[in-house]
Amino acid sequence: MTATNTDLLGKPLTGQEQELLNVYEALKKLARQDDLPPCAARNVRRALSSMWQVTNDLNLQFEQLYDVGV
Amino acid sequence: MPYSEFWNPKNEKLPREELRALQLHKLRRMCEWAYATTPFHKRKFDAAGFKPDQLRTLDDIRRIPFMTREEWMESLMEKPMFGDLLATDPVNAIRYHLTSGTSGRTPIRVLDSTKDWDWIAEMWCYGLWGFGIRPEDIVYFAFGYGSFIGFWGAHYACEKMGALVIPGGAQTTEARIKQIIEMGATTVCSTPTYALHLWQKAREMGIDLAREGKVNKLICSGEPAGSIPAVKQQLEEAWGAKCGDTAGMTELGTIMIFECSHQPGGTHIIEDHFIEEVLNPSSGEPVGYDELGERVVTSFGRGFIPVLRYRTKDMVMKVPASTCSCGRTWDLYDGGIRGRWDDMKLIRGTNVYPRAVEAIVREYPAIDEFQIYISRRDDMQDEITIKVEIKPGHESEWPDLKVKLAKDLAEAHEGLRFNIERMDYGVLPHFELKAKRLVDVRPVAQY
Repeated sequence: MTATNTDLLGKPLTGQEQELLNVYEALKKLARQDDLPPCAARNVRRALSSMWQVTNDLNLQFEQLYDVGV
Repeated sequence: MPYSEFWNPKNEKLPREELRALQLHKLRRMCEWAYATTPFHKRKFDAAGFKPDQLRTLDDIRRIPFMTREEWMESLMEKPMFGDLLATDPVNAIRYHLTSGTSGRTPIRVLDSTKDWDWIAEMWCYGLWGFGIRPEDIVYFAFGYGSFIGFWGAHYACEKMGALVIPGGAQTTEARIKQIIEMGATTVCSTPTYALHLWQKAREMGIDLAREGKVNKLICSGEPAGSIPAVKQQLEEAWGAKCGDTAGMTELGTIMIFECSHQPGGTHIIEDHFIEEVLNPSSGEPVGYDELGERVVTSFGRGFIPVLRYRTKDMVMKVPASTCSCGRTWDLYDGGIRGRWDDMKLIRGTNVYPRAVEAIVREYPAIDEFQIYISRRDDMQDEITIKVEIKPGHESEWPDLKVKLAKDLAEAHEGLRFNIERMDYGVLPHFELKAKRLVDVRPVAQY
C-alpha cells in the first residue's frame, strides 16, 4: 500500500506501525474519491483526521491534508 | 492490561538526539509549507534572506525571522479578518476562535481544519493523560464555552480518552458546585482563580468539597497561578485533590506544556510537536538551562496558520528532563510560565512582577480575592497598594496579616513599601477566566 518501511527517523516500522500507516493511506485514497455519498465522504475525513494524529504522533508521516479538506 | 503512564510512549521517552532529529525534520517541512502557501511567511522569509533548505541543523532555526503578535495584528487590520496568514482556503475550516483580549488589544482570530482541531485535542491528551486522567474519570469543565478557545481542546481530549465529560457551560457557580457533587466528578478543569472561588462558594453553601466531593484531580490553565506553590497548596488542601498546571495559547490553539503526575514543580514541553526556545528578551540570544528568558515557540501542529519562532513575551526558565523522575525525555519549564516580560511594573525604581506578588499574597490562606492597585500621588510619587478581601470567618487575622504581608512584600522587593488595604467582602471583582488583578491608574506619559 505504502512505499515507505521506515519512520521519519529512519527506523524500521513495526508490524503494528505498518498496519496503522496502511489504514491512513487507504483513508487518504478514499478521501480523494469525489463520488462518495456525503455520509461516507464526511466520515472518511473524520477517520482520516484521527489516523493523521496516530501516524503523526508515531513519526510515520508529517504532511498536510487540506487538499482533501481535512 | 494496565494503562501506560504515557499517552505516546514512543516519543515521550525518545532519546534527546533523536528528538532533535525529529524536530529538524518537522521544522524543515513546516517552513517549506509556510513559504509555499502563506504570503505572510514568504514575505518575511524573503526579507530575511531565509530559505527552508538552509535548515541543516537545529541551530539553523536562528536563521528564521521572529514572528510577533504586533505583526500578526497589523496583518489582520490590513486584511480583515485573518490577514495574509492563512495557508489554505477558509472553506477548509471547521472552527473559529479568537484570543481573550486580556490586554485590551485587537484579538487574534484563528481558523482550524478537521485535522488541526483534532490535533488541538491531541496535545491536551498528552497533558491530561500525563497527569493521570483515564477513561474511568468524570471530568467537569467549569468553563463558559464561548469564542475564547480556553478548555475547548481539553473537552474534546477527554472525550477522545473515553472519560465522561460534563460541560459546565453557562451556569451559576452554585449550580456548578451542585453538579460536581451530584455527578461525582473526579476531575475539575478551571482557571486556578475560579477553582479557589468554587471552593469558597461551596463553603458558603455549607459544602466541604474535600470531604463531600470525589474530585481527586484539578487541571488548571489560563493563568500562571497553577504553578505558584502557595496557590497550588491552597487548592490541593481545599479540594483534597492533586493540582496540575497546563499552559497554552490561542495562537497555537492548544497547550504546549503540562505538569505530569509526578508533580516536579514544573511543566514538560511537548517537544515532538513544538520547539520551545528560551531567549534573552533584549538580545534575542539563547539562554541556558536555569536562566530566565522569553519563550519563543514554533509549532508543528496547526498548518492552517503556521506559527514559526513566535515571540510570546512569556517569562520562563528551562530545566533538563532529568529534573523530573517520570522518565519523559522532554525538558521542563521550572515553575511553569512565570509571568510576562511586559507585565513588569517599575515602582520607585523597583521592578514588580504581578506573579511574584501573587506568590506572596497566596501564602496567606485568609485572603480570598486581591488586587494590585498602582497610582501616582501628587503627580510625583508612585504608590502600590494591595487591596485584599478577607475570607468570612478569618476577620480576626486581619491586624497581624496586614503587618506581615507588607513586610513580606517589602523584603521580596528591595524594601519597597506596599500599602495594604482591606476591602469589604465581595467588592473586588472575581474571575472565571483570566484574572485581571492589576490596575494601573498612573497617567500615561504624553510627549
